[in-house]
Amino acid sequence: MPPGLSAYLIRRLLWTIPVLFAISFIVFTILRLAPGDPVDTLLGQRYTEETAARLRAKYGYDRPLLVQYGKYLSNLMRGDLGVSTRHADFTVSEVIWPKIKVSSQLGAMALVITFAIGIPVGVYAALARGTPLDPLTIGFWLAIDAVPVFVAIPILQWVLAVKLGWVRLAWEGVWSPNIILPVLIMSLPGVAGVARFTRASVISVMSEDYVRTARAKGLPERLVVWRHIARNAMLPLITVIGLSLPGIAGGALFVELYFGIPGIAREALEAVLAPDFDVVLALVLFGSLLFVLANILVDVSYAIIDPRVRVQAQRG
Amino acid sequence: MQDVALLEFESVVRPGASPWRRFLRDLLRRKVAVVALAYILLFYAVGAFAPLVAPYDPNAQNLSVESRLQGPSWEHLLGTDSLGRDILSRVVYAARTTLLFTVAVLVTGGLVLGLGLGLLAGYRGGWVDTLIMRVGEVLAGIPTLFLMIAIAAAFRTRIDDAAYWLRQNTFLGQDAKAFLDFVIIVGVTVPFAWVGTARIVRSQALAIREMEYVLAAEALGASVWRIVTRHILPGVLPLFLVGVSGGMAAIAGVEVSLSFLGLGVDPPTASFGTLIGDGAGVRTFQAYPHLLLSAAVPVVLFFFAWNLLGDALVDILEPRMQAR
Repeated sequence: MPPGLSAYLIRRLLWTIPVLFAISFIVFTILRLAPGDPVDTLLGQRYTEETAARLRAKYGYDRPLLVQYGKYLSNLMRGDLGVSTRHADFTVSEVIWPKIKVSSQLGAMALVITFAIGIPVGVYAALARGTPLDPLTIGFWLAIDAVPVFVAIPILQWVLAVKLGWVRLAWEGVWSPNIILPVLIMSLPGVAGVARFTRASVISVMSEDYVRTARAKGLPERLVVWRHIARNAMLPLITVIGLSLPGIAGGALFVELYFGIPGIAREALEAVLAPDFDVVLALVLFGSLLFVLANILVDVSYAIIDPRVRVQAQRG
Repeated sequence: MQDVALLEFESVVRPGASPWRRFLRDLLRRKVAVVALAYILLFYAVGAFAPLVAPYDPNAQNLSVESRLQGPSWEHLLGTDSLGRDILSRVVYAARTTLLFTVAVLVTGGLVLGLGLGLLAGYRGGWVDTLIMRVGEVLAGIPTLFLMIAIAAAFRTRIDDAAYWLRQNTFLGQDAKAFLDFVIIVGVTVPFAWVGTARIVRSQALAIREMEYVLAAEALGASVWRIVTRHILPGVLPLFLVGVSGGMAAIAGVEVSLSFLGLGVDPPTASFGTLIGDGAGVRTFQAYPHLLLSAAVPVVLFFFAWNLLGDALVDILEPRMQAR
């Protein structure tokens, strides 16, 4: 690792701490100040002032906002994320980790498929530049991208499960063929973005001198494309990984709802609507940490690969 | 490849035509972009003149068995929903919801925050720049849809009292609730909608700030306002357009997604989100496919048109930016 980079990396990592504090405080305040709390939901029809007061005292909701926040932070420092009021006082960790595991496996598969389709499509479109095939290819994937996940799901479920009977809609764990459809639905909308980025990158590499040299010395076109063009054009693609994550997370919500997948996006929605304070906070922090770290990883790996970026990185 | 490079070179050095006229000419030469733009304008026109376009009252129910859940016919071109309402009329009014929402976000998040803060950060630099970009980084680091859901859910429970007050005390009358729903979804979208645009505008403003003609204007003692509006803004606008049109489908999608989840505009106000929600679900789709398709096709085409237009604008403007 180049010398300036480690200082940059440390600075970026340190910077995430105030960012996460800010996010946690904002979300904490919104949750506590908004009307309706977990106790209302928990008691429902059995609501009486005494039970409510007793429960609020039990969870500490009756104390001043800043005291509650301080308590939350000191627990957080010890790795205690609190309890889930929606899940009979199971700890937040017990509730969220199994679901995070499911969702991250699905998300990773979707990410891989997005790139596995998007890169060849982008290379193809770039090579077809100037012919109608280029806009047609990109246009096709832009059309796929325009279909909201919650429109695609019922139609595909009907075609593939009801009409053709190829898949079943039941949830049978991550390692069953039934997850092909949900994973595809999560991955396809992102293909257009990856393909467009690849296309632009390939086009800029194609006019480089070393590509012309490779052609001039009589290298077979296949070798020119894959060894000289594609390999160099792939580097900037790392940045797109960070950009693809929010889309996949958003798609995951609807996929988990429709396919009955016990994942974290659905848990997040239910926790928000309940509300389930500690679960919401833990998930917001976890999600933010993930996105911030992904962005840092992208910036740093980019700086390692492309020496020209380093100067900027040092300036911060 | 050489011929392409030459072509771009030619378009850069061609004297005479103003940048905007050249830009328009390049745009009009692309049939796909023209068709996409035409569809977007048609969609917005339908939304703007919804009362004139809609064949029926979008909220008029007809609960008799023979008029509920009917497929497309000459009387109801897109069929009727489970309350016997004409779906075409509801789609027309949903276009109006989309129109109001996207324009509101475009003006507040795009023009005021995106363009304004981008220019401010890029031209002033220093701690102003650092502050704006750091805040943007924090906002961009949050899983957006979930935070929007959280905020929308938190505020919605509180709005009944406010809606009652508005109904009694302002001209809004029956529209008070819809108006508040609207304020909330615009309010949760705007904080996240400006970051991308501001980044693009900032980097462009940074580059232009160093140009000789800006330095000359500064040396001549031109006011900051004049420099920004006359010298920096024209150079920034094309890329601003690229940023805005590229993000428009996603912004319109926020309202549709939130309404679909029941957190956007409430029934009976028509929204593509609630219309799609009525028809979504594999069993509903099997029995009444027109519920989903009638609502989904117009709005999917709308997103698609924005995607195509954004793509075309990138194609037109990017080589010019590189050529400079």
